[in-house]
Amino acid sequence: MVTIQPFSIPDELAGYLYVTFFLANIPLGGILARIFFLVPKKTMGTLVMIECRELSKSYLIEKKSVFAVNNINLSINKGEFVVILGHSGSGKTTLLSLIGGLTSPDRGQVLVAGEENWQLSDNALSTMRNSRIGFIFQFASLIPTLTVMENILLPLTFSRNPAGSREMARDILSEVGLADRENAFPSQLSGGQQRRVAIARSFINRPDIILADEPTGDLDEETERDILELFRQYNANGTTFVVVTHNSNLAATQKNARVFSMRQGVLSAHTI
Amino acid sequence: MIPKNIEKQLNILDYALSSLWRRRLKSLSVLLVFAAVIFLLASFQMVTQALTAKAKQLLVHTPEITLQQMSAGRQEAIALTYSHQLAEIFGIRKVVPRIWGYYFDEVRLANYTIIGMDLSEIPGNALLDTTLLSGTMPEKAEQGKVVVGQSITKSLELGGRLTFSLFRPDLSLKSFEISGEFAPDTDILSHDLIVMNLADARDLFSIPTGLATDLCVYVTNPQEIETIAKKISAALPGVRVLTRPQIQKTYQVVFGWRSGFGSICLLAALAAFAILAWDKASGLSPEEKREIAILKVLGWETGDILAVRFWESVSVSGLACLVGITAAYIHVVYFAASLFRPVLMGWSVLRPELQLLPRLAAGDILLILAFTVIPYLAATVIPAWRNATVPADAALGG
Repeated sequence: MVTIQPFSIPDELAGYLYVTFFLANIPLGGILARIFFLVPKKTMGTLVMIECRELSKSYLIEKKSVFAVNNINLSINKGEFVVILGHSGSGKTTLLSLIGGLTSPDRGQVLVAGEENWQLSDNALSTMRNSRIGFIFQFASLIPTLTVMENILLPLTFSRNPAGSREMARDILSEVGLADRENAFPSQLSGGQQRRVAIARSFINRPDIILADEPTGDLDEETERDILELFRQYNANGTTFVVVTHNSNLAATQKNARVFSMRQGVLSAHTI
Repeated sequence: MIPKNIEKQLNILDYALSSLWRRRLKSLSVLLVFAAVIFLLASFQMVTQALTAKAKQLLVHTPEITLQQMSAGRQEAIALTYSHQLAEIFGIRKVVPRIWGYYFDEVRLANYTIIGMDLSEIPGNALLDTTLLSGTMPEKAEQGKVVVGQSITKSLELGGRLTFSLFRPDLSLKSFEISGEFAPDTDILSHDLIVMNLADARDLFSIPTGLATDLCVYVTNPQEIETIAKKISAALPGVRVLTRPQIQKTYQVVFGWRSGFGSICLLAALAAFAILAWDKASGLSPEEKREIAILKVLGWETGDILAVRFWESVSVSGLACLVGITAAYIHVVYFAASLFRPVLMGWSVLRPELQLLPRLAAGDILLILAFTVIPYLAATVIPAWRNATVPADAALGG
């Protein structure tokens, strides 16, 4: 019995598109691709969701410059699930901050959906973060004076459909198992519950990319399984994930996850 | 359909108000301190303006030029014979002798101001003549008739009586009958005033005939006051010449000095508040810094974060202004500025019961805003701006 996958394409066409999009990401190649392959500009570059080019970032520690991220080249396609493993201080969080446009690189470029982060104005960068990226931080980054519902709705403060936003937030709260806690304050929740609220908030604006820093750190086994299943569903629907963790089992829970190791700011393909 | 920009600002305002509500204890304490400072400042400004305006309005009735005899730097009785010399100066309409003195009531420990003058002699009868509550001013021929200020009848405990007696210097009694009462709106000048004719005042103080305490000079053309005053100074070298503008200026200086004194005290309070506000606002708490960082990470623009702070500050300071100015108005109108009366109205035993009409011009409101709202806005928005422009990961500690 032949099973046809949704959106499956013949290998020949895949090869053709690969070349096209590869060229599209090289300035001259992009022009050539548009001329010879008649690829509309709008669709160009959408396959590669995140691209880091010779990315470096260092910090001064005791008057010594230490590389947190050292000359990283990384290309992540739309819908990929990327896991970056590494010990504390290996530079994983800095890499996420660079990708998310939270900090500027010393050298190199970060392109998100074809646009270079640090070529954007501060406002455009904020808009990009708001519309394209969902952040899950290592520490639950909730505003303590807001309720669970208000925290989740923060990215949608300027939404034109507040009523719809609330319904959407309730759906996501159900997905993370906190349907009955929407009016609770963060101080009334456990560390794991706070983490789940932060995860729910990262999904509220239906982002293209989820950047997650130790997303399962505070969770018990059962909740961790549920959350990773949720990640898998969102990933299956096309959301790109970049997850940094020291939990080497996390990658195994996701379909076709690409796994990297990071050590002293250097990224390398992970080998078991 | 609301324009997108206005809708965004409304959302930000909504967030700012709910943020204030979340920190209601802190917001309320800032609001109360802020309102108290504005209340003091506005009260002071209102009462100073009201008193100055009132004094200015009443001093219109003072003589255009007043002459006093000086001897060894002190005032003494002036001879009425100077009138002949003054008659030769062109532009003088009339010279009217006056006895202006103070009577100390030892029983009641009160000072009364006595003015003895033949009012019918004054051109236009201009001595507060339009401001009598009842009765008439004493005529030249009416011996023993007086017009008194509101506080005098209370101080003398007359009840329904219209007669009272005062002691001459030789301790013999001189009787008076009240023929009229000054209106309350002249209280600032008339509250301790007894007006009688010249002969009665001379009798009360035992001043010899041919002398008075001062001579009131009325001129034909008020534009010529200064010129005539100079001519008088030249003609009568030992005489102090006071013009109406000089007297008005003196009153303004007195009120100005008192209000300046009060303002300095208030400015000190204001400075303390500004330092407190700056300290509170500039040293954003770690929670506040974290909140700003989280908002940035979630895609809020720097301008949105500043707008939240701006609306928070505008709400607090606007409400504080409203509360402070309203409380100041009530304080001045209904409580007769009881907090500032001793400073602004002197320490007289007979205190005038003034009904002040507060005056607060647009310039005064702008002054209050400049000293309160603008520093507060700066003290709250600038630190937020500094925080909102640093990379968000630094504030998150990532």
